[in-house]
Amino acid sequence: MSEHILSVHDLDVNEGQIPREDWFESSDTLQHLRKNKRFPTIWCSGCGIGVVMGSLIRAIESLGLENNNVALVAGIGCTARMPVYMDYNTLHTTHGRALAFATGLKIARPDMKIIAIMGDGDAMAIGGNHFIHAARRNIGITALVVNNSIYGMTGGQQSPTTPLDMRATTAPYGNIEPPFPICDLASAAGATYVARSTVYHPLELDKYLAQAISNDGFSLVEAVSYCHTTYGRINKLGSAADMMRVLKENSISKSAYDKLSDEEREFNTKTVRGVLHTKKRPEYTKVYGTLVDRVHEEAIKPRNYGGH
Amino acid sequence: MTELVSAVNQAPAKPAKKGPRGEVKIFATWCKGCTICVEFCPTHVLAMHPNGNHPIVVDQEKCTACHFCDTHCPDLAIVVRKIE
Repeated sequence: MSEHILSVHDLDVNEGQIPREDWFESSDTLQHLRKNKRFPTIWCSGCGIGVVMGSLIRAIESLGLENNNVALVAGIGCTARMPVYMDYNTLHTTHGRALAFATGLKIARPDMKIIAIMGDGDAMAIGGNHFIHAARRNIGITALVVNNSIYGMTGGQQSPTTPLDMRATTAPYGNIEPPFPICDLASAAGATYVARSTVYHPLELDKYLAQAISNDGFSLVEAVSYCHTTYGRINKLGSAADMMRVLKENSISKSAYDKLSDEEREFNTKTVRGVLHTKKRPEYTKVYGTLVDRVHEEAIKPRNYGGH
Repeated sequence: MTELVSAVNQAPAKPAKKGPRGEVKIFATWCKGCTICVEFCPTHVLAMHPNGNHPIVVDQEKCTACHFCDTHCPDLAIVVRKIE
């Protein structure tokens, strides 16, 4: 095969390259990247976070939103490096507080589309309370949780979504804690749009992200990804391509899952992809706006008002 | 005999394959060589460069513009354009 390649394309590594400036113009997705940032991206070779970044750009583009009307809020972690490369309003906050900052931003600017980009450790561990309370208030934020089952950036420590019996650097004999089901948690806490897909299915992610951003209320999209550098190595799961193949084989669409018998559903170990939960509830900033208007109009004083 | 030869020469060229065709562009400077595109390409359009750490297009005609490689490229280093 290699002789064939040599005869067809006898190229030097960097020969025939497109200039960097021209590359940004070669597709609609690439035009939304920040041209002054250092590329290639910071993530490991083959990391699924880059796939989610492409999906997010395509989803925002499909809705025809102006770049200035979108704000991306991120915390700390591998996933939180995503907004750095994207040409929207961005906010890089402290660990786990992406949703807290996003809540403030949404109340100040209810007209903007706010997307909080978090990893599983960011959203479920240190930011767990922000997550359930943002869902309870049904504030119009889209939470994009990229779930790679581990703390990747700090060296593969066990996270709240590490599956049972899998190893991590802080669980060398296997994890004994059951993982958090992110989508079930969000549905129970009161989110009005909950969807899940994997990085093997980026076109599904595009669709769900677009629906989540247009949903008026708290939306959660869980993008199931992988970390082949720490989690994959310690559990001997192979390369990035191998782990992506596992995502393909170990996932089942919601429509196929609904057709299974009760017994099959009980023993299902595959990730269910699809829109898992939708509900109609009043959005927080709208309720807050009507409250402010009512108080201004009627000059209602709070019950414990001690003025005069 | 001469008639037969001329008939062969006049025979139309092999018709183009049915379905959409695509054109693959690779920006090797951004590629980190994860080989996802090469391993998953359903028609084996791409292969790894024998000396470099990035894929190259080895069989352009086979590309069906399925957009697997450009949507799954974690480094946004591939663009597939559909040819009419």
